[in-house]
Amino acid sequence: MYRIKEHPILKSFQKGRLVKFEFDGNVMEGFEGEPISVALKANGVMVHRYTKKHSQPRGVFCSIGRCTDCVMIVDGQTNVRTCITPLAEGMKIETQYGVLNKR
Amino acid sequence: MERFELIVIGAGPAGLSAAIEAASCGMSVIVFDENTRPGGQLFKQIHKFFGSKEHKAKERGFNIGKNLLNEAEELGVRVELDSTVMGIFRNKEISVMKNDSVKHFKGNSIVIATGASENMVPFKGWTLPGVIGAGAAQTMMNIHGIKPGNRVLMVGSGNVGLVVGYQLIQAGCILEAIIDAAPRVGGYGVHAAKLARIGVPFYMSHTIKLAQGIDRVEGAIIVEVDKSWKPVSGSEKTLEVDTICIAVGLSPMSQLVRLAGCKTLDDPKKGGIVPLCNEYGETSISGIYAAGDVAGIEEASSAMIQGKIAGAAASKDQGYISEDEFKARQKKLENSLLQLREGMFGHKSTAQVTHTDEGYELSHSLLKKGYISDTELSHYPGIPTEDDLKDGLVPVIECTQNIPCNPCQDACPKGCIKVGDNITNLPSIETSVKCSGCGMCVVSCSGQAIFLVKQNHSPGYGLVSLPYEFSPLPDVGDIGYALDRLGNVVSKAEVISIKKTPVMDETAVLTMKVPSNLTMKARFFKPAMKEEKII
Repeated sequence: MYRIKEHPILKSFQKGRLVKFEFDGNVMEGFEGEPISVALKANGVMVHRYTKKHSQPRGVFCSIGRCTDCVMIVDGQTNVRTCITPLAEGMKIETQYGVLNKR
Repeated sequence: MERFELIVIGAGPAGLSAAIEAASCGMSVIVFDENTRPGGQLFKQIHKFFGSKEHKAKERGFNIGKNLLNEAEELGVRVELDSTVMGIFRNKEISVMKNDSVKHFKGNSIVIATGASENMVPFKGWTLPGVIGAGAAQTMMNIHGIKPGNRVLMVGSGNVGLVVGYQLIQAGCILEAIIDAAPRVGGYGVHAAKLARIGVPFYMSHTIKLAQGIDRVEGAIIVEVDKSWKPVSGSEKTLEVDTICIAVGLSPMSQLVRLAGCKTLDDPKKGGIVPLCNEYGETSISGIYAAGDVAGIEEASSAMIQGKIAGAAASKDQGYISEDEFKARQKKLENSLLQLREGMFGHKSTAQVTHTDEGYELSHSLLKKGYISDTELSHYPGIPTEDDLKDGLVPVIECTQNIPCNPCQDACPKGCIKVGDNITNLPSIETSVKCSGCGMCVVSCSGQAIFLVKQNHSPGYGLVSLPYEFSPLPDVGDIGYALDRLGNVVSKAEVISIKKTPVMDETAVLTMKVPSNLTMKARFFKPAMKEEKII
């Protein structure tokens, strides 16, 4: 739904092979090497984490690794900036609550 | 610790240009950048740039980026990516973090070209997923091929907001509106007009009050502001959007400049805290230069020139070029930079310009609503008279503000278009010369402000040729709608020809047939939906 199929200026986007990954226990597909946040967006995922104090949702904001709003738990590691971390096959991505993987 | 004659921090347009200039003089150069890809923001810029030929005008940003990288590579410049410069010490020593380890480097000279970061405006709901920076939108759609959303509100009418807004539509999004708290459109009128004629509404003197939604943006409430920037109660409007894009300016990323101990000043005209520099970009510390947005917010074309000046100055400092050679290079570059800073959007100008340099009154409608009104149009030198229109095919140049750009002048093989030596002059048309209808002016205009008009093509009908940069490209014979400058349907239209050759660089010239009396009104072709019947 969000992937651009036809673009008037950019003829194609460099993408790796299609791989499977896991988001909160669900299997999803994305292209190897693209930012995790892009693969999530393509699957309709908007909320990356909830803040520690007020449990407010956060998602992609700057998309260049500067603001840290998009951090998630990736393969067990917390606070991974998903907008600049490349997707790999079999990655386990979890919504981050504060710094935990559950509320 | 490794040592280089020149260390450049930042592989964007300024940094790469500095590296290229210095390496071409024979220096050993290393460039560090914290990103995975070089080029700074250049590879996200898919529009054609302004300026003159020497500023790489009418080339698209990402192609300029490719060429810069090739040049740097050919000259043996080492570019270290994923490398964050985290410290800058006395004697021009820096510490660089890469893959969680830190290394030290020492340079004889340093060019700091760290660029800028986006400003934000806080409002209720601004932390919701779906509120993004304009740069984020560009990164998603132009690098990674993904739409940031389906229905977008753009906050900010500067060139970034206008250009990114247009790119959103090119990516297949719907741009619901552009708003700005200021009473006038902040960016180039030609960029605004591109959006207005597709039907994007402009709300000047409006700000965003609230982003609606529980865990993602589901709408936005905008509100009018009065002269003292206070919200006017009762003027709220709700827009159905899933994305709110913020384009409210940039700030220099001057942390390293400050860390180095360079003298700085807070200059609102330059966008914030900038290093105090001499004419060559040298800071208060001898041998440390600043170039590009970090030294004051401008755009990529001037950043490249500033980078070259700094690179040449460092080469002179270290004896790679003579004082005379440097002076000659610097003078040429300085002139080129000054050209870009001329005009109503340049460094010296104030926000309240009322007339062009030539004395024409600025279009109020363009500044308020994004399009030139019919009554204002005839004032400008690029607009043919009624008599000119009777004669046959003529170019119509809807360029009404002094912006530094002149490719249209060279594009015409017949010499129909004149800008003159000062590149901020408004282009004028020479109607005594016959237009051949080649369309090269149409595609050379980075502002997409040139049209070809033939009022009498067949009884009752005329032709309008316009630049077209959307997918899918219509076919000859397609029937659709002609839209006027504010995006309203004025008649049905038939596509008569589509011209697209490699030299046009992805801009097609679409010629449509419309009623003769609408040839000076119809400015966009909207294809009909598949099963739609056109009456």
